[in-house]
Amino acid sequence: MTTAEWARLSSDAFNVALFSYIAAMLVSFAYLAFRRDGLHTVATVIGVVGLVANALSIVSRGVAAGRTPWGNMYEYSSLLTFLIVLGYLWIVEARAKVRTVGGFVYAMAVLTMAMAVSFFYVGPTALLPALNSYWRQIHVTSMIVASSLLGVGCLLTIVYLLKLGSERRSIARLHSQVPPPIMGAAVDTSDPSVPHDYVAGADASVGSAATGSHRIGLPPSATLDGLAYKFIRFGFPVWTFGVICGAIWAQQTWGRYWGWDPKETWSFITWVIFAGYLHARATSGWKGTRAAIVALVGFVSLLVTYYAVNLWIAGLHSYAT
Amino acid sequence: MSAPDGPRSSLRRSVAVVWRTLRSMRTAIILLLMLAAAAVVGSLIPQIPNSPERVAAYLVDHRVVGSFFQAAGFFDVFGSWWFGLITALLFISLVACLLPRSRALWRAARARPIQARELDAFPSFVQRRVVAEPSAAAAAAVKVLQRKRYRVELDPTGTGVAAEKGFVRELGSLAFHWAFLVLLVAVIIGKGTGYVGHATIVEGQSWVDARLNYDGDLRTGRFFTGGFSGTGITLVDFEDAYRDTGIPMDFHSHLQLFNPDGSYARDVDVRINHPSVFNGVRIFQYGFGWAAMVQIHQGTRTLFDGPVVLGQDTPPGENPLAQPWVGVIKLSTLRPQQAIVLELYPDAEAYFRSLQTGVPQPMTQANAPFIRYQTWKGKLLDTSLSGLDTRFMHETTGGVVGEKWTVDLDRGCAISGPDGPTPSSVAGVACPDTGGPGTLTMTFPELRQYSRLQISHDATIPYVLGAAILIVLGLLPALYVSRRKVWVRANSEGTGAIVQVGGFALQRKDRFDEEFATLVEAIVAAAGGELVTDRAQVVTP
Repeated sequence: MTTAEWARLSSDAFNVALFSYIAAMLVSFAYLAFRRDGLHTVATVIGVVGLVANALSIVSRGVAAGRTPWGNMYEYSSLLTFLIVLGYLWIVEARAKVRTVGGFVYAMAVLTMAMAVSFFYVGPTALLPALNSYWRQIHVTSMIVASSLLGVGCLLTIVYLLKLGSERRSIARLHSQVPPPIMGAAVDTSDPSVPHDYVAGADASVGSAATGSHRIGLPPSATLDGLAYKFIRFGFPVWTFGVICGAIWAQQTWGRYWGWDPKETWSFITWVIFAGYLHARATSGWKGTRAAIVALVGFVSLLVTYYAVNLWIAGLHSYAT
Repeated sequence: MSAPDGPRSSLRRSVAVVWRTLRSMRTAIILLLMLAAAAVVGSLIPQIPNSPERVAAYLVDHRVVGSFFQAAGFFDVFGSWWFGLITALLFISLVACLLPRSRALWRAARARPIQARELDAFPSFVQRRVVAEPSAAAAAAVKVLQRKRYRVELDPTGTGVAAEKGFVRELGSLAFHWAFLVLLVAVIIGKGTGYVGHATIVEGQSWVDARLNYDGDLRTGRFFTGGFSGTGITLVDFEDAYRDTGIPMDFHSHLQLFNPDGSYARDVDVRINHPSVFNGVRIFQYGFGWAAMVQIHQGTRTLFDGPVVLGQDTPPGENPLAQPWVGVIKLSTLRPQQAIVLELYPDAEAYFRSLQTGVPQPMTQANAPFIRYQTWKGKLLDTSLSGLDTRFMHETTGGVVGEKWTVDLDRGCAISGPDGPTPSSVAGVACPDTGGPGTLTMTFPELRQYSRLQISHDATIPYVLGAAILIVLGLLPALYVSRRKVWVRANSEGTGAIVQVGGFALQRKDRFDEEFATLVEAIVAAAGGELVTDRAQVVTP
């Protein structure tokens, strides 16, 4: 096959992956709404098809360009999407057996891919000499892996907050309907000082019995919180490692390991915020909602690091435009 | 509150409050988020160290906001007093938090595990009847726990066991935090006592690491005391390679390095991504360009003889390699003063191909190079090497000079030169005669390349790297290992014993349940297995 044919195959596979993820997203949301097992099977099959097409697109792109296929934003986004979906199917579905959040994850995958084609598409070309280093491979790979892990973690945090809200509402409803039981009456769940564990515990006994929570059909907030934490706890050291590799690469290429270039600055900001999140989880009074909000701020920072720096802020990393 | 010790105790109390506040995790989190917020400002507003020209433009465009930003230090966030203050507070908060934690870990690591009495009070608890006697069962439990790498302590009676595991979590966490501190300090010292600048060296020429020899953008750290290394660098040869598409592939400078005393040290090749370290300075390939060797004579007097370093002023979106290289020679001793503006086309063939096709062609190699020149007369406002202010000057002549040609600058015609591939369309006219004795002439004997090297000194790089590695290494156990405690008690029961096992994990509790179950099975098996008696059968249903 010629280079042009490989490039063509890569684009086609990319489109197949994109449309598969769109379909998987729709079917997953349908599963969340109607809870038919068949829908879940269909969503998983389509998701796996998308994943395979995504992988094919990445590999053929690499063949067409004659190098590892993560050299610009388009390619990063393709790999990022692959890792997001892979991480979801493997960790959330296969290992944690949580099946109802797929729609959100596929939506994230679709947005990432759509951004890639609309803003960042470039043909498969060789790289500038400054980008040629094995530290680049390590740096970029770990940054993308970390982005996918942190991204999914933050997405699960959003779902967690949604679920937590619905649990609190249904418990409040329950309290207003049923005469207060002797023991539960003292606890006001809308009070932020009540540990979120109380609410999480309530989910199993009280919350799931309440109509609102059951209709939403999401896993209990404690499960979502635990999963989100797993992803972020995994993503944080990888991000740390990636930033350090980037510094080593910068030392080799630009002669300084750190220069407050916008991408460097934002990767530091993101690091600091997620460090704050991990500390918040270990601090009483910050657990639950407050830590989740820190994670959301981290998510915004992650998006700025990934997109805004390349699109709007000039710097050494703005090679993609 | 009695009067005499009132102020002192209230002072002590407020110191204690401040100390407690600094130690709290809440303060650390808030300081971390403030650090992030400050960095956000630094990334959104142009910074003097990164792009001084954008700061200057900003000050012109936004007078009021700009002067406020300037006063607040927003144009140099990472060097501002308030960024330093946040860093310092975070630093103190970290130390205040880490010192007691380190002391506690030290004590806990030296103390033996403490026995517990009521094991059934622990979150995980199981009791089993086993074949072995109490002391044998406890000894078996010790073995099992040691094999699982618990720190184990057998009580004096020989029937109670206390065990714990997972100190490496706290160790990793402390290593991470201390390493972060070391990293901060090392960065501040390294950047503060170091310097970074650029050196332009033409092929065949030498350069010495001293303040005056830098290109003008030398940046020294806040605590730099002026000790440049004195290293000598000679550029033997510069090579650049391109793909067919004109995309750069490789640049490298072949250098000879000299010790500060002038003695030869060694030859090195410096290329992109492959810097060289010598005598405390790091030498990086930074840029390159063309330098025209030019001689200017007035009669027999030599006014100028040397390389003219040529630069580029590429309009955005254009391929710089397809653009000419420009420079200026200023003859300030002449009356009236003169300046010669040079515009080099390194590859005549590529240049004419772009004229024919209308598509700019990259000129990547020297191939019949020629220079367009203009001479200006009048008053030089600035005698530095760069730029030409023509407000008090007027253009007199112009023409073309090819390699190994000599031209008459007064009349703008060519005196001598080999017949070369430079087409007559640009070659200009030959001078009708040799001109008077005071004729100003310019010769262009050869074209060389120059290499722009970045020279930097940063003494703490190894420490920064070491701290960074420790950060990652500490982070893994800090996030993934959990502290676990297990107790075993064996009480005599008939011929065998009843073994009680209790324990808990401080983190990752879900995993501990599994681990605890396998631990219990292993202990029971090592203690001779489960004892099945008639009485047990009576009790069990």
